[in-house]
Amino acid sequence: MARRRVFRWRAIVPLLVFLTLLVLVWLLLLDRLAERGIEAAATHLVGARVDLAEADVRLRQGAVILRGLEVTNPDEPMTNLFEAEEIVADLRVLPLLEQKLALDTVAVRGLEFGTERETSGAVVERSPESARVARQVSAWADALRFPSFSLEGLGQAVDVGALSPESLQTVARAEALVEQVDAVRSGWDRTLRSLDPQPTIDSARALVTQLRQADLGRLGPVGVARLVSSTRTTINSVGELQQRVESLDDMARSDVAELQGALRGLSAAREADYAYARSLLQLPSLEAPDISPALFGEAAVGWIKPVLYWLGMAEQFLPPGLQPRRFAPSGRTRRAGTTVTFPKEGERPGFLLEHGEASLELGGEGIEAGRYLAVVSGLTSAPSLYGKPLRFLIERTGAAVGPGDIGVDVLLDHVTTPVRDSVQARLGGIELSALELPSLGARLLPGQGTMSLSLERVGDALAGRWVWRSARVTWERMGSGSGEGEREAAQVGSGAWAEDFLWRTVSAIRDVEVAVELSGTVDGPSLAVRSNVGDAVAQSLRRELGREIARAEERVRAQVDALVGDGVARARAGVRELQGTLLEDIGGPLGALEGVRQELEREVERLGRRLPGGIRIP
Amino acid sequence: MLALLKLLQSMVRALHSEGTPEQVAAGIALGAALGLTPLMSLHNLLVVAAIALLRVSVPGAILGWLAAIPAGFLLDPLFDTVGGALLLDARPLEPAWTGAYNTPVVSLAHFNNSVVLGSLVGWMVLAAPIYLAARWGVSRYRATVHPRVVQWRVVKTVRASKLYNLYRLFRP
Repeated sequence: MARRRVFRWRAIVPLLVFLTLLVLVWLLLLDRLAERGIEAAATHLVGARVDLAEADVRLRQGAVILRGLEVTNPDEPMTNLFEAEEIVADLRVLPLLEQKLALDTVAVRGLEFGTERETSGAVVERSPESARVARQVSAWADALRFPSFSLEGLGQAVDVGALSPESLQTVARAEALVEQVDAVRSGWDRTLRSLDPQPTIDSARALVTQLRQADLGRLGPVGVARLVSSTRTTINSVGELQQRVESLDDMARSDVAELQGALRGLSAAREADYAYARSLLQLPSLEAPDISPALFGEAAVGWIKPVLYWLGMAEQFLPPGLQPRRFAPSGRTRRAGTTVTFPKEGERPGFLLEHGEASLELGGEGIEAGRYLAVVSGLTSAPSLYGKPLRFLIERTGAAVGPGDIGVDVLLDHVTTPVRDSVQARLGGIELSALELPSLGARLLPGQGTMSLSLERVGDALAGRWVWRSARVTWERMGSGSGEGEREAAQVGSGAWAEDFLWRTVSAIRDVEVAVELSGTVDGPSLAVRSNVGDAVAQSLRRELGREIARAEERVRAQVDALVGDGVARARAGVRELQGTLLEDIGGPLGALEGVRQELEREVERLGRRLPGGIRIP
Repeated sequence: MLALLKLLQSMVRALHSEGTPEQVAAGIALGAALGLTPLMSLHNLLVVAAIALLRVSVPGAILGWLAAIPAGFLLDPLFDTVGGALLLDARPLEPAWTGAYNTPVVSLAHFNNSVVLGSLVGWMVLAAPIYLAARWGVSRYRATVHPRVVQWRVVKTVRASKLYNLYRLFRP
């Protein structure tokens, strides 16, 4: 029988030809593949479209040249974050065999920031990572509530009739507290009924009487020993019951403390109801800390959102530690699935840029004209493997006109936990964007000014300050304004009156500073906004309207008190009554148990002393 | 063009020599790897090499490939789950994945992707059942269906056409 052959040796040559053809096609398409791959990966990272005109991969020289790179600003899809004419990168070839990208140096030419795009750079579906960060930042921004600021309606009669008990949280909370008190009371009733210490107390008291009347001569030593033994058993059972009652006492005190905490919460709820009722009347606050957020809060959120977005992205893509990391790959025909990277001590990171430099020169005679240098070092997907923090610097190396007051210094230390990020940026003498302030009925034209950001992050804790300042602002009225005669005739609280009052107040201000303080955690930082414009408006308001507003506020508070008073009183009485009942129902038996236990011990001791001839009770 | 056709013809001639049910079934089982797992994966180069070098039916492999493509797409959610469980939940396997991920060339196989890994494992599990089912199917087809089919008028017409002559080039 002929031996069946397994291998088809004649196929080796055609197979080699096929593989060679495959390699040739790959080499021919390498530039295009690199271009597509870079576009897809960068779009995934940024969360907005990244376009590349051309990629030129030179494996033998270990270089990649990218031309016409446009990176869309995720917040403004018609604007590029930056655009680079040419990027030349020195590439290490061997890491490519591990599907890793290691760039020794990168030089960027023709770098421009904030250029306009011809088409929108928004992506239909963002990468899960960038979408998650964007969602978090948007949720934070949406949850922020700035007090409204409007002077219209001041002249109207204060109508507090619109307030209903259902709209006040104190009423609902007080009702819930009363129900909670009832539930706790019935629970305790059941517990105390099942415990019922009275029979034990009565039996112990009867034993005390029996011990006092005991005739030692008639009982004899054996009878005395039996009586003492029975007394000790009773003392033990009284002691056990006493411990159970004591633990119930602890639980009762804890329940009462919880109810008292809820009672204290009613005060906070009442304060919130005051604020709610006040907001229905649209009374302006006279406090500068309230007015500044009302005027500049939305603008401040607009400034801070990109900062939080990029901090979040840095957290996503530059995580500390060597744990496996997962991400959803992009650009696959089949289901994308999850790609997991497994960093290993001593190995290369998946992506590493050791040193990158970009120089740019802004021409013209503007104050921003000059030469700039941007340097990045240690940009890597696995900071713990690289072992050094990421540093990003922009500085003005030569100013053609004006002060060289521009500098950005970013340090992201994700080598170990907790991560430490620091951002220091100062942009002086730049053209600041106009701010529309509808509540003032004015547009603020800042001209040249200064923006500075100082931010520190350690772990989840965040502290930062963003200052926006211009010393030569001009104001533009958004409404039509009213004539001299109309102004005199305008009623306090009318639209015309409010518009004129605010315009008179702000139009004289030349030096404007807005300071935004960030604090708290990265996921939900608190925002405080302060501005000298808020101070000025508050002072003017106090001067003109202080007494009128205070009176209206008093009426609002009185109305809230009237609506919530009954509910709060019932809740307070319920808690007080329950506290008294529990103290009595538990404290009484507890005292009786302690008393009878001590009496029993005393009687046993006395019995011992009465025994003749040194007989000891065992 | 003619040179390319001749090259193709010579390659196919070199590959055509066996056609037992076992060879066709083995071809189908190997070809299924190309359809069940993402095509542009490094392991599929090995599968192609195996189809070429082992005496299995090349048309069978092509049939297995084409038949498995829709199955691959349909089973992707399952592959994703299986691969995800192996990559992320199976802690004892983590050193193996870490080693593979940091090994030159091996990491190019994309085994760190849940769909690639899950589909490859899925194919490995299904390869033997596919082989057995295909062998039984081919035997039954040759014994019962094929003699009747060749008598059909439409088949006779097709077999007399030039298209069929071209097909014969690829028959084992």
